[in-house]
Amino acid sequence: MEQPQPAPGSLSWRLSSHPITLLIFLGFRVSSLLVYLFGILLIHNLVMIFIITILLLAADFYYLKNIAGRRLVGLRWWNEVDPATGKSHWVFESSEPGTKVVNPTDSRFFWIAIYAQPCLWIALALVALLTFNFIWLPLVVIALVLTITNSLAFSRCDKFSQASNLAGRAFSGGNLAGSIASNMVGRFFSR
Amino acid sequence: MASNHHDYQNVSGVDLDDGDLIDPDDADLNTFDDPLASTTQPSTSRTPLTGTIRSSASSSAAAANNNRNNAASSWTSRFPGEDRTSSALSTIDESVWATLRRDLLAVWHKLREVLYPRHLFSSWGGTDSIRGAYASLRSGGLASAREELAGLAGRVMDAESLLEHGNGGNGGGGLRDWDLWGPLIFCLLLSTLLCLRSRDDQRDMVFSGVFAMVWVGMAVVTVQIKLLGGNISFASSICVIGYTLFPLVIAALLSALRLHWIARIPVYLVLVAWSLAAGVSILGGSGVVKNRVGLAVYPLFIFYLGLGCLCFIS
Repeated sequence: MEQPQPAPGSLSWRLSSHPITLLIFLGFRVSSLLVYLFGILLIHNLVMIFIITILLLAADFYYLKNIAGRRLVGLRWWNEVDPATGKSHWVFESSEPGTKVVNPTDSRFFWIAIYAQPCLWIALALVALLTFNFIWLPLVVIALVLTITNSLAFSRCDKFSQASNLAGRAFSGGNLAGSIASNMVGRFFSR
Repeated sequence: MASNHHDYQNVSGVDLDDGDLIDPDDADLNTFDDPLASTTQPSTSRTPLTGTIRSSASSSAAAANNNRNNAASSWTSRFPGEDRTSSALSTIDESVWATLRRDLLAVWHKLREVLYPRHLFSSWGGTDSIRGAYASLRSGGLASAREELAGLAGRVMDAESLLEHGNGGNGGGGLRDWDLWGPLIFCLLLSTLLCLRSRDDQRDMVFSGVFAMVWVGMAVVTVQIKLLGGNISFASSICVIGYTLFPLVIAALLSALRLHWIARIPVYLVLVAWSLAAGVSILGGSGVVKNRVGLAVYPLFIFYLGLGCLCFIS
């Protein structure tokens, strides 16, 4: 089936320069939500759903923090503890400007996923509150903490490195597609 | 127009200074003065105050300048932390496998600290006595286990010598890098194993209850250690306590396998003592709490004992 060529920077995984990383990243993000949602609707087994969801959330947190953020947009953050004083120290790292080419498709996927996830979990938390399903609240709170931590930390990283308007870039990424993106597209489709 | 502009600059400068004056929400107790141990360290919370008063004009102007320079910086920049661009030696471009391998190794190193609480056993002398202690712990019956327990308890209570030994070696151990994999995995395992043998209608409650109890217990023990003047960050302490849940996971596993209740008593006592030894060894060996180890460790002991009792009755 012949598909029309997507515009540069549009949300198509075929334009990504790290397709596997991107797909695994989106898979973790979506699967934790889906397992929770369909778990409470279809399977009434709290323990199993709880464990699977929390493991998926932890894997997503780790993958986003240490692998996806690094490979897709060249950002990373972590915490160091000084063993002598016990003071903890947050470090927000971004790759050196000019050395890393960030694919607009990757970055748009990344930022949309990073900001959409906490919003969806907040909605689910409201649903759990309003339907008096208090036994699910610990899980939702853990999910909120993990996703919001990543969102805030990565926006901090990016504000330092590029000083660009994140939300604008994430949600209107199409008009940001520069010559790099069109080059990438050309390379992809000339094969 | 110009005066308006200046007013705006001043206002924004004052806002930024307020951010310095008011303690940030995520500041842990280490940021504040410790009333018990404040003699050695100069007070830190007053320094920004005096600095602001002395040079309020220049600092506000500088803040306004700074604010204008990176116009996109917003409230996320108020997190305490350091911004960095990666250097050539950085690992920001390493492969996925290198990252995974490093982190798995870090988890294994922390687990090894628990399996072999070296700070505690190092005060017993050479390796022979350690082997002997382990052997008698394993093969001996109730009496010898109790003897070893008494010995262990004596070690724990003899806090000062323990700390001297611990600080003599490379004290920092597993505390520099923390992660929450250990607490998460062990807490999940403990809750799951304990709820396996419960009645069907109570299973959800048992699972949630144990899960919440473990996290709240870890938080309470950590807060207590910090209130006693321990210089350890909140997350590090959670990490250590979470990893030392490992022997209790064994206890829960034995319960899930329906170990006879008479056999549970000595085995679980040994396992609780093992947890406690590992916790004291890592926390104390890093020079966390000086002079008050017994006091700080007591709630940790209660925490482990409570979980051990849960394993016993399940």
